[in-house]
Amino acid sequence: MLEIIQEYWLLLLIGEYPHGKLGGLAMTLIISFVSLIVTFPCAVLIALARTGKPGIIQSIANGFVHSVRAIPLLMLIFWAYFAVPMIIGFPIDAAFTLIVAIVIYQTAYLGEIIAAGITGLPKGQREAAAALGLGYIPTMFRIILPQAIFNVIPGIVNQLTTIIKESSLGSIIAVSELSYVMLQVNSNEVTKPLQIFGILAAVYFVLCFALSQATNWLERRISSRRTGQVVVEAVA
Amino acid sequence: MIEFQNVSKWFGALQVLRDVNATVAKGTTTVLCGPSGSGKSTLIRTVNRLEPIQQGKITLAGLDIYAKDIDVNVLRSGIGFVFQQFNLFPHLSVVENVMLPLLRIRKQSRAQARPVAMQMLERVGLADKAHSLPADISGGQSQRVAIARSLILKPEVLVLDEPTSALDPEMVGEVLKLLRELSADGITMMCVTHEMGFAREVADRIWFLRNGTLTFDAEPTAFFSDDAHHDVRNFLSAVRKNH
Repeated sequence: MLEIIQEYWLLLLIGEYPHGKLGGLAMTLIISFVSLIVTFPCAVLIALARTGKPGIIQSIANGFVHSVRAIPLLMLIFWAYFAVPMIIGFPIDAAFTLIVAIVIYQTAYLGEIIAAGITGLPKGQREAAAALGLGYIPTMFRIILPQAIFNVIPGIVNQLTTIIKESSLGSIIAVSELSYVMLQVNSNEVTKPLQIFGILAAVYFVLCFALSQATNWLERRISSRRTGQVVVEAVA
Repeated sequence: MIEFQNVSKWFGALQVLRDVNATVAKGTTTVLCGPSGSGKSTLIRTVNRLEPIQQGKITLAGLDIYAKDIDVNVLRSGIGFVFQQFNLFPHLSVVENVMLPLLRIRKQSRAQARPVAMQMLERVGLADKAHSLPADISGGQSQRVAIARSLILKPEVLVLDEPTSALDPEMVGEVLKLLRELSADGITMMCVTHEMGFAREVADRIWFLRNGTLTFDAEPTAFFSDDAHHDVRNFLSAVRKNH
């Protein structure tokens, strides 16, 4: 195992960069981070639309969530990678395609988690904000979302680790992220799949575990400022 | 100041307010009482449009509050509203709860709003709890903070929905004391409560509701006299049994 790491560590970390494309762990981190950063605000908007007044916006949001939930992520990736370029007439970068697919997919799931946080708050919170004369935007962004998001942190962490793991699907459309690089190493070495995929599993574990630990720490920090609230231990 | 004209309201098929006609004069305190489910909370919640009405008219200082050109948020910021369950925002400290309307509605800076909020907290006797979180103070203190928050925009009307019903008995006194002071200061107050001692002492008018109908509207002396409506007498004897 050590000799594999010794031989391929640079490839694992940054792919063929600077002689070729950036890849490996760096690419996995970039895809995960960008997906995460873009997904979060999209999910908040979907959650607001789903929990808001019935109307055209809510119907669109409902349709979006129900459609995305009913199809596999892999199919979404195939669509974005093979079908969209045919429709628009020019090829799209594979990594970009992957990020778009993950964002669309995770927006539906993360949106549902945040929506659950919003509907789970006592009705009195919204009434109190209304009685003070606060409009919709300050009510949601100052009163409801800060509490709702805090209450569903464990669910959010689950989705964030899922994003990291889903970035491995990029290997199917030749995004040179960590799994893709390890597949290449495996075809070079042929006889050492146990070691190679062992390393791959360990790296994903470290990434996801570190993320859930970091969020646990953040959650404890926030809840120590909000003593008396129920502290929900992250299960992710 | 506040006038209810033929106000009726339904929750689906259930009529919860029936043709209510009544007036609250400026600077007076009106106590609403009646058995549970009588519509008293619903009635006061119509004053700031937390509950819409289906029939009738409510005017505040002569303005029809359901008129199309009324901005509901402006209307609400002119009416302090206090809930039975306090409804403080648990993620904000006591002073931040009180400051919030100044920051978000009056668009003041924190530097402008903080001293005003501190002054209000002093008035309700909680300046020393300014930086505590709602979870760290008692029920009575929470309700005083909620009252401070509802008064921070200097509303002309203060509406209270059973402000002491969720409190432990030993904390009721501190809230009622504050309400007595506010009433004496001349704010127009509507308060749903079962505290009959408070009603007798502070109210200018007492309204009694039963099944959504305002069956009795009188001064406290008439309300507590033996000549009061038999519904009122039955209610009072039931309340006394529990106290």
